[in-house]
Amino acid sequence: MRLPTVADIERRIPRPEDFESRARGTALTARVGSALGIAFLICFLTGMWSHFQYSTPGWLTLSPRPTQLYRWTQGLHIISGTAAIPLLLVKLWSVFPRLFIRPPKGARALAVEALERGSIAALMGSAFFMLVSGTLNIIGWYPWEFSFRRTHEAVAWVAIGSLLVHIAVKLPAIRQGLGERVEHPDHDLDPSAPTRRSVLNGAFVASGLAVLLTAGQTVPFLRKVSAFSVRPGDGPQDLPVNRTAAGAGTEKTALDPAWRLEVVVGDRTVSLTRDQLLAMPQSTHRLPIACVEGWSRSATWTGVPVRDIIALAGGSPDADVTVRSLQTKGAFGSSLVVGNVVEDARTMLALELNGETLDIDHGYPARLIAPNRPGVFQTKWVNRMEVT
Amino acid sequence: MRAARVMIAAAGVAFGLWGLWLMRDFTREQLTSEAFWLAGGVILHDAVLAPVVVVIGYAGSRLLPGHFRSSTATAFLVWGTLTVAFLPTLSGQGGKAGNDTILGRPYVLSWIVLTLLLVVYAVGAGFLRRRRAATARAT
Repeated sequence: MRLPTVADIERRIPRPEDFESRARGTALTARVGSALGIAFLICFLTGMWSHFQYSTPGWLTLSPRPTQLYRWTQGLHIISGTAAIPLLLVKLWSVFPRLFIRPPKGARALAVEALERGSIAALMGSAFFMLVSGTLNIIGWYPWEFSFRRTHEAVAWVAIGSLLVHIAVKLPAIRQGLGERVEHPDHDLDPSAPTRRSVLNGAFVASGLAVLLTAGQTVPFLRKVSAFSVRPGDGPQDLPVNRTAAGAGTEKTALDPAWRLEVVVGDRTVSLTRDQLLAMPQSTHRLPIACVEGWSRSATWTGVPVRDIIALAGGSPDADVTVRSLQTKGAFGSSLVVGNVVEDARTMLALELNGETLDIDHGYPARLIAPNRPGVFQTKWVNRMEVT
Repeated sequence: MRAARVMIAAAGVAFGLWGLWLMRDFTREQLTSEAFWLAGGVILHDAVLAPVVVVIGYAGSRLLPGHFRSSTATAFLVWGTLTVAFLPTLSGQGGKAGNDTILGRPYVLSWIVLTLLLVVYAVGAGFLRRRRAATARAT
């Protein structure tokens, strides 16, 4: 018995023409790929918008209007990412035989082929990375060593960059594929085989179902339909909770009768009890909690406008305000409310939720609620506001 | 078209480099972990998932009665891609201690129901197709 040679092994590796399904083909790939490209583009733009909420560039001023803007953009971010999963898998299925194309002869052709394959590897790697890290962030599982937010942002640029390179390389094939009839010219030869049309429809049905079965966490009328939504929408006072009082280390301090809200404006400090806050003129507004994980839900909040509290301590009603929490565990223990958000009368220190005294898991004794603001910045268990 | 392609590719390279620039202060440990997750998806897909699907497709085309091939393939496509999409939710991982507002539904049960519905579709649509073919032959 002799050992197999390289040529023997090469003969055993399948060739593109060994894959027999006529459902594969440029006409299918171009259509699924275009839908996938649109999903990725929406995901990228809404994702970058979300990153701007965390570190706002100098040219952008965050506004309290439109009230539901972040709810929409982040809901769309998760929806487009979820829709992309079936599309990506079908798209890769449609081109899998091309993985087995043998390298061309000649140094120049080989270099071009290597560059193109490199860009596809970067696209696949980053696309999987984005979808996997994103979906794991939704369920709150972090089995890795990197920072989710920063890495999800950096790899997004690699993904969209390699997608653009891929589109540039494939533009002639995309135009050809979209111009062709969907069906393989010889599909009648095997009438019982799955057709391209059935695969294309299957991909869109799967993508649509993935959205319908999860989007109820942000689209109210889908709540009952979305059997796979991570945030079914229930919770104390009919609102889900991201961080509980126990998770934030506030279960004792929040209930301490000695709690005071300290309002610091320059070198002046005003201290207010909860009863004093309740004695101030109250406003009631319907505002959403909209989280980066893609769930959102509106609720009716009652409390004191932040600008009134700041005015009490002699601050200007459009000052930048830092809101601090009793929270001792976990990130986002404080947040900055920029002046034009403070100016909005709906930016409140909420004391009641849906007509009841705020639940401790929703931030009792007092929490921030402001329009068009990511959930992590709606600081709970507030004990201090500073104008510096 | 050539100029447009060059411009799109140049923008793509610039975006990609910007992404790498954003990683400039990542520690070695973070980069290693990131590389693992970047390469992991590609390897898992190309070496495991895709070949398994090819084998299943081959087996299906040989073993299934003709009328059932197309509906089974569609059902399998929908089932497979949705199962992958819902894998994190089905994994039993994640969630937060003492917080039942996250991951609070019987997801595995829903997945079993989804699977059964797709089996019903595959079989039902197959029988329907067989009957139609029989009627077409009879007339």
